[in-house]
Amino acid sequence: MNQMFKFGMILGVICLLATLVLAATYQVTKPKIEAQMRLEEQAALKAILPAADSFKEKTLDGIEYFEAFKGGSLSGYCLKITASGYGGYIRLIAGITPDGVIKGVRILEHQETPGLGSQIDQVKPGEKDPWFLRQFVGKSARTVAVKKDIDAITGATISSEAVTGAIRTGADVFLLKVKR
Amino acid sequence: MKMMGEFIKGLWRENPTFRIVLGLCPTLAVSTSVSNGIGMGVAATFVLIGSNIFVSLVRNIVPEKVRIPCFIVIIATFVTIVDLFMKAYSPALSRSLGMFVPLIVVNCIVLGRAEAFSSKEPPLRSIMDALGMGIGFTWALILISAIRELLGNGSIAGIYISRSFEPPLFMILAPGALLTIGLLIGMINYFTTKRR
Amino acid sequence: MDLSSYILILISTVFINNFILSRFLGLCSFIGVSKNSTPAVSMGLAVTFVTTMASMITWLIYNFILLPYHLEYLRTISFILVIASFVQFAEIIIQKKAPALYKIFGIYLPLITVNCAVFGVAVLNTDVFFLHGQAVPNSFIKAVVQGFGAGAGFTLAMLLMSGIRERLEFADVPHCLKDAPITFIIASLMSLAFLGFSGFKI
Repeated sequence: MNQMFKFGMILGVICLLATLVLAATYQVTKPKIEAQMRLEEQAALKAILPAADSFKEKTLDGIEYFEAFKGGSLSGYCLKITASGYGGYIRLIAGITPDGVIKGVRILEHQETPGLGSQIDQVKPGEKDPWFLRQFVGKSARTVAVKKDIDAITGATISSEAVTGAIRTGADVFLLKVKR
Repeated sequence: MKMMGEFIKGLWRENPTFRIVLGLCPTLAVSTSVSNGIGMGVAATFVLIGSNIFVSLVRNIVPEKVRIPCFIVIIATFVTIVDLFMKAYSPALSRSLGMFVPLIVVNCIVLGRAEAFSSKEPPLRSIMDALGMGIGFTWALILISAIRELLGNGSIAGIYISRSFEPPLFMILAPGALLTIGLLIGMINYFTTKRR
Repeated sequence: MDLSSYILILISTVFINNFILSRFLGLCSFIGVSKNSTPAVSMGLAVTFVTTMASMITWLIYNFILLPYHLEYLRTISFILVIASFVQFAEIIIQKKAPALYKIFGIYLPLITVNCAVFGVAVLNTDVFFLHGQAVPNSFIKAVVQGFGAGAGFTLAMLLMSGIRERLEFADVPHCLKDAPITFIIASLMSLAFLGFSGFKI
């Protein structure tokens, strides 16, 4: 029993040291990780609404979004949407005008199958933006649908529909709420 | 000279991927593009070096019976450090490797080296061993991912080489990975046994 | 309670996203222990037992300890420790209480601690069944079902592969492809067949 106790102590001490090291590392990297996330969000916002000169982060009934301003007047919204894709959650930002026309979509994070679902944010050689997301520009956010407006990615129908459906319901719920 | 031997053996003679056939999950899962392969290789090398040093340092303090849990804790610590730093300084890479960064903790190469080598050897030699194994693992990953990316996507490290053929998608998917490593090991066996 | 969503998770982890053939988790033991079907299936049963239990335990730890105290960064270290201690514990219990069962799969238990499938399913559960730092509805049962499905998929792949490899003993395989390489090539073909399930939606 005495020996068991000694073993436990040694393991406990090692665990304690490990936790301390990790806590310190976490404290050091945390601000940097958050800054990176904000940086990516800002880059996505700029790509979606290049004309806007300032963005204001807001929350409405749990929906996180940005108001985009151009010369002091409201020019659109950028919604943070989470879609349930094939391999996990897809986090994206969709930019819409106040009357519900999509201005652009950017994927922040996804875990779709490499080669298939991962094409949702694939940039083709010689092009600047992802070809799948480009299809959304100019479509009405509340009615956008695969087949009708959007060509699904070959072999990745679920991913394509997940993105499209999440934008449609997300925008619908948001526009109803924001009008009120 | 002996130090050099510890380093060199991991590169070819005891290459973890092609010779010992260990640590396959990350090898196959992340080798869809060269940049992923390099990222995974470097991350695993860092974990190998870190854990090998510490395992070697505590090798005389830790009793035989609890050594595996102790080694695992040390390895998991380094994995988490890599994970956090990757998130902070290379979020894109961290995202494309996804859950395979925490999975380095169960990479058989890391625990295998801790158990087979650094729990018996002094720190300096353990570093050389880790460095050799890490680089051996990294070049294997780069080779596999280069083949898969070239054939499956028509590019190497994101640069498009040829658009003259429609890349067979299956090389990027799971079957392509298994086929690539199977044929590579077969080829290596063929050439090494022939020489003898 | 939505039964169909559990069945979907089960089918998905066994066939569509088979842990070995499409996620590459647990590949080391797949190559190592698939020479004969009896040990292969025993190993599969042991893995199924551990993935199911580990899913439960790690879910509880994540939901009730790591999340409330914002300790998500301790996920890797706590999961692996818990899995390792659970496996050790299970081995002792089974050896004492059920020697018959121990004979079937007990000897494979120590190997399982570093089996990627077990740790992989625990990490996957926290990735898929938690959203914005909160558990999704019924996420505990979903996690357990996914854990069981992962093990079942592993067992299925082991069974198929060991059956093929037993026959392979009598085949004239080129010398350089013997053992590991030919196993990879067969696994590749099996994985190609399983690819036929991808995109299934119920």
